[in-house]
Amino acid sequence: MEKGNFEPRITAFVCNWCTYTGADLAGTSRLQMAPNIRIVRLPCTGRIDPVFVIKAFERGADGVIVSGCHPADCHYTAGNYHARRRFAILRELLIFMGVDPRRMTFSWVSASEGAKWRDVVNETVERVRACGPFEGWRSLGGGLT
Amino acid sequence: MDAMTISRADLLGLAEDLLGSGIRVVGPAKASRGMVEYRAVAAASELALEGPELPARSLKEFYLPPTEPLFAWKSLAGGKVELMEARMAPPPTVVIGARPCDAAGVEVLDKVMGWDYRDEPYFARREATTIVSIACAGIDSSCFCTSVGLGPDATRGSDLLLVPIEGGYRAEVLTEKGARLVSGHQGRFRPDSGAAQAQEFKQKARAKVAAHAPPDARPLRSWLETHFDHPLWAEVALRCHGCGACAAVCPTCHCFDIVDEPEGVTTGVRRRNWDTCQTARFTVHASGHNPRSDQNSRIRQRVMHKFMIYPKRFNEILCTGCGRCVRACPGGMDLLEVISRVSALAGGAG
Amino acid sequence: MTELRELARKLLSDGQVKVVIGYEEGPRGVRPLFATDGAAADRLIFDERCVQNLATYLDRRRVHVARLGKPAIVAKPCDVKAVAGLLRETQLKREDVVIIGVRCGGVLADPKSLQRLGPDTMADRCRTCETREPGLVDYLVGPMPEAVRGQSGRDAKIAELDAMTPEERWSFWQKELSRCTRCQACRQVCPLCYCDRCMADKTEPQWIESSPHPRGILAWHLIRAIHLAGRCVDCGECERACPVSIPLGLITRKVAQVVAQRFQHHPTDDPSVPSPIGTWRSDDPQEFIL
Repeated sequence: MEKGNFEPRITAFVCNWCTYTGADLAGTSRLQMAPNIRIVRLPCTGRIDPVFVIKAFERGADGVIVSGCHPADCHYTAGNYHARRRFAILRELLIFMGVDPRRMTFSWVSASEGAKWRDVVNETVERVRACGPFEGWRSLGGGLT
Repeated sequence: MDAMTISRADLLGLAEDLLGSGIRVVGPAKASRGMVEYRAVAAASELALEGPELPARSLKEFYLPPTEPLFAWKSLAGGKVELMEARMAPPPTVVIGARPCDAAGVEVLDKVMGWDYRDEPYFARREATTIVSIACAGIDSSCFCTSVGLGPDATRGSDLLLVPIEGGYRAEVLTEKGARLVSGHQGRFRPDSGAAQAQEFKQKARAKVAAHAPPDARPLRSWLETHFDHPLWAEVALRCHGCGACAAVCPTCHCFDIVDEPEGVTTGVRRRNWDTCQTARFTVHASGHNPRSDQNSRIRQRVMHKFMIYPKRFNEILCTGCGRCVRACPGGMDLLEVISRVSALAGGAG
Repeated sequence: MTELRELARKLLSDGQVKVVIGYEEGPRGVRPLFATDGAAADRLIFDERCVQNLATYLDRRRVHVARLGKPAIVAKPCDVKAVAGLLRETQLKREDVVIIGVRCGGVLADPKSLQRLGPDTMADRCRTCETREPGLVDYLVGPMPEAVRGQSGRDAKIAELDAMTPEERWSFWQKELSRCTRCQACRQVCPLCYCDRCMADKTEPQWIESSPHPRGILAWHLIRAIHLAGRCVDCGECERACPVSIPLGLITRKVAQVVAQRFQHHPTDDPSVPSPIGTWRSDDPQEFIL
């Protein structure tokens, strides 16, 4: 497993109202960010099904970010509270089954926190780069073998 | 029929010889948590030939794998699709230590696999595999091989049957493949002896199984043909969870599902996967209608398929009496009891 | 036993229930019994071999059982928790089931063995069980058993796994799960896996592949663990049903530990205690969130 010299592929599941807008702000503010993330926009972190994270790793993501509104700021009042419990469990389960915890990032990034988004992205990319490509999951099964 | 003998040490030596010459050796081997499974071994020392436990699943998966790619596709421009067939190059394999019920199961499956078309992947594996069985002493009260025209010493499906005698086994050479295996490894085999001991082993084993086995299941076919609506099915089905553990462990269950799995945006693989008639979804139509919408009809289907439909078509019972379904069932379903009940009903009706 | 049989006879003859779902001595061990008359009720037993969780049979979708009519169920404390789960999730109405709770001192890990019940022979989940007497009952039968306790083998194994590197854990689970053929016995026996359309059966779109290759197998076991988080009562049926002895109890126990530690929730037979997954607290721990 070559570490340190590859470009990780990170899938980021983010909520529309806070993190996506914050990411936009990072962009319009011309903040320098690693280009490795592919953003999937959802209305709310409460909509993020744990299966999305499983699917991302299964289909080639080296790392995953899940990000949304800060507690008390959810556009739908409580979606992020549900997500907080759900992802606490998913994270521990995935770690238990052998996923390196460094491959997963969970964050609260508000619409005005463009700089924080930049930091979350850059830090995640470096952390996942150090883990190396997540061949283990995407090379399971499938194919003509 | 030719017979030789082979010592225990030489049998393991034979396994080592085969492994050394690049042949895959499959046999019962210990897995985690005290269970035994049939698997390809890396060394003869892995083989667990003396154990009383029956491997958790049968030999079926070495001929009909739980999942098997059929072909891959790639969508091209202009609506064209490129297809790549899965290569069929099964490794030459010798099974050492098969139970007679499992070897027989493979031969029973040959009928449907070669019926309306020849299942090439299945038969490619058949041709590449030699089965050396070890006669069974009878395992426990869930065995009923003697009720389906077989027995702990059954020879069906085996190329070589090893019957335990002192110091090793008496080896009955049953087929060309078996003869080739012996002649290719002459050094491991000695001249025939121990015929009386072998016979005694077989008789004891047979008696042990027959002591608790239900009546012969072969005559039940006609009762089953005429009692589709009998209340027996509702009673028997109550405990069933529709879980499919029985089908997974069965040497003769062979239903499969075909699925298309995308790998990328334009690529994918078509696969064949094990399936079971015991799940509710098995018979759901595209319209949403389900002709077997409750467990009664599904349990009835299982029993009928094994003891009436398959026999009608192929003159074979789709069951080798291994008893795995009984041992594996979490709901306590009991095929021996069903056979006994049907037998009593059939006898009573006259 | 007499107490249980007499109660069952009475419930049936009074017409209070149409079937008593309990345990009987089958030809090859203890198995579920669906007693619809007094003669059958006389076959009811309860002892340390009664490992099955009969709450699975209460799902109204099992039409072949449901059509027998209103059931009474013989339930150990863990089984009653499953019934409570069904009530909590509105899969059952309280008035549609009669719960015959049995006092339980634990069941054997291997009900077919002829062993005496002790810390080493009892099922792992029983070793640390605190509930010998179920609370949510219509009737309570059986003598109060002695407390037999032991160390949880699963907790020890989980600690061992937790101390491994991610790669070691990955290898462990890939090896254990490799035997899976997606027979779905684990799902079918689980009282809380009652969905008409299991997510793993959906094909438009398909999130969980149905194939028993390592990729499909992993996705299945992960999604099952997630969907049961906070709902699983640790009855052990999934692990018992698995025909190839995959240690599913390690996964369920680990998730239960996470839920207990983070949300102070334990499986309970009180249906008014809300599920920890549909609920939240504003001060839920979030140390893992940046």
